[in-house]
Amino acid sequence: MKRILLVILALATFGAVGRAHSQTTQELIYRARDKVYPALVHIQPVVKDYNTGELKKQAVVGSGVIFHPDGYVVTNYHVAGKAARIICTLWDKEQVQAEYIGGDPPTDIAVIKLDLSNHPGEIAVAEFGNSAAVQTGEQVLAMGSPLSLSRSVSAGVVSTKDRYFSSDVRLPTGERTGRYNLWIQTDAAINPGNSGGPLVDLQGNVIGINSRATLFANNIGFAIPINIVKQVTDAILTDGEVQRSWIGVHCQALQELEDFFGTGRNRGVLVSSIDPNSPAEESFMKAGDIILAIDDEPVSARFLEELPAFYNRIASQPPGSDIRLTVLRDEEEYSFTVTTRELGDLQGEDFEVTGWGFTVKGITRQMQIDNQLRDSSGVFVTGVKRVGPADVGGLRSGDVISQVNKVPVTDLADFILRYNELADTQEKILLTTRRGGATRLVVLSLDTEEEVRTDG
Amino acid sequence: MVKPVRYYLLLSALAILLSLPVGPRTAAAIAQDFDFGRLEQEIEKYTLVMEMKIELSFGMQSTEQELRMMATVVSEDGLVIFDGSMLELSDPFSSFSSFSVKSTPTRLEFTTLDGEQTYEGEYIGTDRYTRIGFARIVDTADTDFDYVEFSEPDRLSVGDWVALYFLLPEYVSPRLAADIGMVSTMVEIPEEFPMIVGFGPHEMTSVLFDQNLRPLGVLGVLPDPSASSADGGGMHSMGNNDFPMLGLIGADKIGELIADPPVKGQIVRGWLGITLQALTSDIQEFFGLEADGGIIVNEVMSDSPADKAGLKVGDLIVQVNGQPIEVDTEEKLPVFQRMIAEMGPDAPVEFTIVRPGEEAVDTTTVTAVLGKAPIAATDAEEYENDKLEFKVRDLVFTDYMLYNVDAETFTGVVVSELEPGGLATIGGLRIGDVIQRIGPYEISTVGDAEEALETLLADDPTEIVFFIWRNNKTMFVNVKTE
Repeated sequence: MKRILLVILALATFGAVGRAHSQTTQELIYRARDKVYPALVHIQPVVKDYNTGELKKQAVVGSGVIFHPDGYVVTNYHVAGKAARIICTLWDKEQVQAEYIGGDPPTDIAVIKLDLSNHPGEIAVAEFGNSAAVQTGEQVLAMGSPLSLSRSVSAGVVSTKDRYFSSDVRLPTGERTGRYNLWIQTDAAINPGNSGGPLVDLQGNVIGINSRATLFANNIGFAIPINIVKQVTDAILTDGEVQRSWIGVHCQALQELEDFFGTGRNRGVLVSSIDPNSPAEESFMKAGDIILAIDDEPVSARFLEELPAFYNRIASQPPGSDIRLTVLRDEEEYSFTVTTRELGDLQGEDFEVTGWGFTVKGITRQMQIDNQLRDSSGVFVTGVKRVGPADVGGLRSGDVISQVNKVPVTDLADFILRYNELADTQEKILLTTRRGGATRLVVLSLDTEEEVRTDG
Repeated sequence: MVKPVRYYLLLSALAILLSLPVGPRTAAAIAQDFDFGRLEQEIEKYTLVMEMKIELSFGMQSTEQELRMMATVVSEDGLVIFDGSMLELSDPFSSFSSFSVKSTPTRLEFTTLDGEQTYEGEYIGTDRYTRIGFARIVDTADTDFDYVEFSEPDRLSVGDWVALYFLLPEYVSPRLAADIGMVSTMVEIPEEFPMIVGFGPHEMTSVLFDQNLRPLGVLGVLPDPSASSADGGGMHSMGNNDFPMLGLIGADKIGELIADPPVKGQIVRGWLGITLQALTSDIQEFFGLEADGGIIVNEVMSDSPADKAGLKVGDLIVQVNGQPIEVDTEEKLPVFQRMIAEMGPDAPVEFTIVRPGEEAVDTTTVTAVLGKAPIAATDAEEYENDKLEFKVRDLVFTDYMLYNVDAETFTGVVVSELEPGGLATIGGLRIGDVIQRIGPYEISTVGDAEEALETLLADDPTEIVFFIWRNNKTMFVNVKTE
């Protein structure tokens, strides 16, 4: 399987405007190249894929850049997130192993660490710049391994610095992604294999991590701004993960709705939807409220592009914090406190139910909300192996298994326990499943011996 | 070992060759047994040409279509039957939200075969199983129409021949042509149905005659029992897409329909209120049962007839009114669904139930009084707003199932049609959105929607803000009114 990896190739106008000082654009490009190129990493992870009902390992290709003298490399979560092992090739063509340190699906960022014990030479460390200072039209370089062609550099400009995408986009591993960041769009040609590689300004600072491309388009690629990346890599190096606060609100841009809600321009953030059983739902909050301030600091989101920063404002509080919200409802202002909870994992841990022919994952709170599940009990079917017992019995991915042989399943650990008890002891297993709003029984017949076919 | 097989094949081939001249000769002989001259005279008395305008809508688009088909008068006071397969295509699961297809007759006109008389007609309804459409001649003082009187048939057998007349295209004269077909098998499951070969779908609802020129019934299609999935309660099964099996809809079935014609939108289907699954041999084995099949009760809707009767989740229904239910594959589920649907509301039904417990298997009976099946999306109340150019309909039972929401707390109306380029479309409403609030008004019914929109639009506003539910989230949609 090819992953959609994004790369930035810049083949833009050289000889454009000269700088105030005497350096030509060509000289600037050389200087920037020399600062980042030695820190460029070609990443070949072997990733675990559970989507076909069995654990399959797959070699994929991505890019990364060393950002820490101890050999830490930043890349995309969709490159290294589910890696069983990782091999990296450095700019000097030396190969080293790497270890997965941590990742963050909501921003699609992951950190791996190079094993440099047998590496003969020195490594270079790239410097992170400031993505807030990036200018639309600014010349940039993209580096990485498009279509596995390692050590490739291309050039272009920043096409826009604040591209918004809805967080309905999902990673190959199922997590919704992109809620907390905007994107730097560049006119680089984007190819699978560039994902995780650096987008570099002409000062030689990394200003973004190339992550997405538009297929069937020319030179429309997107990088995660480095200021977001910095927050994430810092958290991963310190805590091994990114913790976020969650209150369960979804917002929409207020543009064109200010009159209806009786608020002014650039005043407040419109709450459009509230997750069930969330801190927001349990508080005073209702859909249609305009959040005017968080902890007495005014907030606003007139445009979609302002939403990620607002979500980040809440998410960056330590979980369990009390936040004081001021909302406008029916032209009256109300203030109240909401205690945040930890967002937690978007997706649960995977498990291959080898003997029964399917894969499952644990059900996290976010999966429960996403899939309109009544509660988080049971396990979620991620794949069903073709012609295996589960396939024959009618199990489908997306089903939730709530009972095994009429005994309720509380969570993944409980399911694994039941599976291990029952495996090889019974010819028929009865699973009680839910699909959408409906319950179904599925019988796994394990007594069917594989048919042996010969030419006799 | 090989040679005898070849020898046998050779013999079969010979037999086939020898038999070839026999077929046509037989058919010709049979055809001569029909007195087509007399049959044509007979048919002309009660056959009309029907022209019908129908409005077909597919959510975003609607078109008008004109149909011309044969119709047959079946009662003295002008009740008429015709092929209703284009009408009331209302399986709620295929007609849900954006896949909604509605066909509504807007004008009906009948002309006698000689072209001398024309009558206006009024559409009544279409039977959901046989697809026989019913209409009535309305604009005339005539009350003594010639009509076909179906004969109680002698039992048909395989090999019997039947004849009919069908309507030719408008540019052809004369208007009718004859055809013959042969009973090819007597279908037993899902119901008794003499299947006839030799006819095509364009001949549907033509009156079928035996060689004594007795009208036996009409040409119809083996009713697809899955059409009953509309009885709701999650009794959902996709119909199969086999070729249409044509055959005789007999005098007794037609007689029942003529006595009590189906009325569009009127629900006569019984409803139990469960979600169900077939009791396959695998599942029987798990429970240590030996039955010919049955129904697994997966869910019981609260306050439904099943609930009131005491049916429980996990019950296995093995008999209905003392008769075994031979449903042992998912494909046979519709047989049970139709059985319940056809028993009709208020019918008391006895279910024999097996209740597997921890140790023993317990058998018991419960009696449920069936309810009325919930209405389908296409039959739900609608309201159209001409200014914003869209239509909404009431939520129906299947919406709660498909949206996976709680029927007790979830309210709103469903966007069922949007005019492309209309204000509602441009404003960002989509087919399937559930409108929960319009401006400041809470919306639970199309009546609420109508009142809210008319109140708001009376002030000539520049915009109307809708609060909607879409993909498991709510949001606001601002529709500009100019």
